[in-house]
Amino acid sequence: MTKKTAFWIFLLGTLSSSIVFLGLTVDTHRQVAALSHVDKLSKKVIDGKRAFEKYNCNDCHTILGFGAYYAPDLTKVVQRVGADGIRYRVTHPELAFAKSERKMPQQHVADAEIDNLIAFFTWVGEVDNGDWPPQDSKSRLTRGEQRLSVGAGVSPGAAVFQSKGCMNCHSLHGTGGKFGPPLDTIGQKLTEEQIKRYVHDPRSVNTKALMPPQKELSDRELEEVAKFLGNLK
Amino acid sequence: MEYRSQKIANWYFTIALLLFVLQVVVGLWLISNYVFTIPQSIVDVFPFATARAMHTNLLVLWMLLGFMGGTYYIVPEETGREIWSPGLAWFQLIALVTTGVVALIGFVFGWTQGRPLLEIPRPLDVVVVIGALVFLLNVGMTMFTAKRWTVIQGTLLGGLLFLALLYLFGIPFYENEVIDWYYWWWVIHLWVEGAWELVTGAIMAFIMMRLTGVDRHVVEKWLYVEIGLFLFTGIAGTGHHYYWIGAPKYWLWVGGAFSALEPLPILLMVIDTMHHVRHRQTKIINPHTWTIAIGCAVFHMIGAGVWGFAHTLPQINYYTHGSQVTVSHGHLAFFGAYALLNLTVFYFAMPRLRGVEIYKPTRAKLGFWTMCSAMMLMGLTFGIAGVLQSYLERVLGMGYMTAQSYMRLWMAVTLVLGVFFLAGVLITVFDLLSPKAAVEEPD
Repeated sequence: MTKKTAFWIFLLGTLSSSIVFLGLTVDTHRQVAALSHVDKLSKKVIDGKRAFEKYNCNDCHTILGFGAYYAPDLTKVVQRVGADGIRYRVTHPELAFAKSERKMPQQHVADAEIDNLIAFFTWVGEVDNGDWPPQDSKSRLTRGEQRLSVGAGVSPGAAVFQSKGCMNCHSLHGTGGKFGPPLDTIGQKLTEEQIKRYVHDPRSVNTKALMPPQKELSDRELEEVAKFLGNLK
Repeated sequence: MEYRSQKIANWYFTIALLLFVLQVVVGLWLISNYVFTIPQSIVDVFPFATARAMHTNLLVLWMLLGFMGGTYYIVPEETGREIWSPGLAWFQLIALVTTGVVALIGFVFGWTQGRPLLEIPRPLDVVVVIGALVFLLNVGMTMFTAKRWTVIQGTLLGGLLFLALLYLFGIPFYENEVIDWYYWWWVIHLWVEGAWELVTGAIMAFIMMRLTGVDRHVVEKWLYVEIGLFLFTGIAGTGHHYYWIGAPKYWLWVGGAFSALEPLPILLMVIDTMHHVRHRQTKIINPHTWTIAIGCAVFHMIGAGVWGFAHTLPQINYYTHGSQVTVSHGHLAFFGAYALLNLTVFYFAMPRLRGVEIYKPTRAKLGFWTMCSAMMLMGLTFGIAGVLQSYLERVLGMGYMTAQSYMRLWMAVTLVLGVFFLAGVLITVFDLLSPKAAVEEPD
């Protein structure tokens, strides 16, 4: 190999990679508008981003997986702890984390700023980012449920039923809690669709229902547990 | 030393070393935050976030000062003339260090841009840009007036120009978080896997040529191939940061494929370093400088090449993204590729700048091996913590703090290793600041 050949390797390598990269950058800009729902990028969301930067949140937390790893990822924080959960943690970190091994600083964030932060997190949570992070995925069962389903030979719905605490109140074949009704023949009374609605928000069906809404279940978990219960006839 | 103006490099190196010590001290505080429960009253005043901003900015600052000092040392020898304006070199050093100190103090009082690694507030960014322009002007004018162009010089100037240009993408406020991260990586990734690699390649080539007496033609030929491969894999390889940010899906393919090739140029660097040592034309006078250079190549390969490769495949990255695995990779790669490069330059230039031609390597060896062993083990302990985190939190779906409690033991081990690392750094810095001449051995 001569020095001239080496030079051409350098030039072609650099140019080809740059062309691919810059070309895709242009296309990415076009597509990000839809993927990140730019139409919902309101002034409130942008102000929320400013607050997020003002308080240096990103040097403890990650968002979209980037930042420091000292505190939980905030991509799906609204889904995980809700707007009130965020407000409580930011206003009173000394109470919220009183028993935690790690603390969050009291930064005296103004109420309006917290509202903006919540708008920002809500917007980020809706970005179509390939279903990351896995622990917050709405489209899959947790690995614990998957294992139970495969290892114990039960249906995915039965695995959700067992691992999400349904049996603290309800029973099957005499096993389980007595606070709620036994569910051995629930499929005779309700269809899959009705069960799904009931589990998601009991009060929307029966205003006197005592059962708490199961909002933490992922869509897939809700579907599987409804399928399982709907077949108990 | 042949040129008087090279002396300024010594100041750059000295300040860089002091900042390096400070960076490691802050690092020990950070790891303590993982091991112990810090009371709310301290967290309110000096949160983890502030210390983290210091740790990363000190890293960038000392390494850039090292590169700049290295450039001021190399350019006179490459061009065969004094630096165009030693006054400007002084001005730029003072401007940069002042900015750094103001920024560090500012962080404590919450003055920050609030974006990881780019925390330096925007008004100070202006000073950084002016400093960079002055530096480029000074180096560029030295080369222009000398009218003697070499590949090493070209690569060095190209790398520095690229480095300065990319910094600009980190300055604006981006309204869209997705676009924000998109360009954040233009600074971070294209720096460390583009611009900095060019500077590294050029500096390594220069030192190799000087120490081994291998023909310039051979060294520069390898340099072309290396930087060609670095840029080919590195530029489009930026895509491995775009998997989960809300960018189009094709980045999984582009990022995955190009970054799978990223170890190649590093491997080439290891091979050609070994090759040059074997075919050396002159007697190596300071063998320890060589040990560091080879250590740099090997660590670079493990930290950046192997560790980077291990978690850039999308299927793996889905679980390891944003975990302590990244921390493990970051520490090994930065220490291997850039801290050891800077130390190679320091050991090459600093004793000579102080009139010591052949230095006594006892303390240097002790410092080097302490640092390298401690960092290698830290890479492993961070890595174990990261794998635990990926499995417990991401795969099993455990809560964040529950998963962290299983990692605490490994963070405690890291703290102990960190103390050893600091000891190694202190020995090295002390040795560099007061080099001892070797006692002449009768031939």
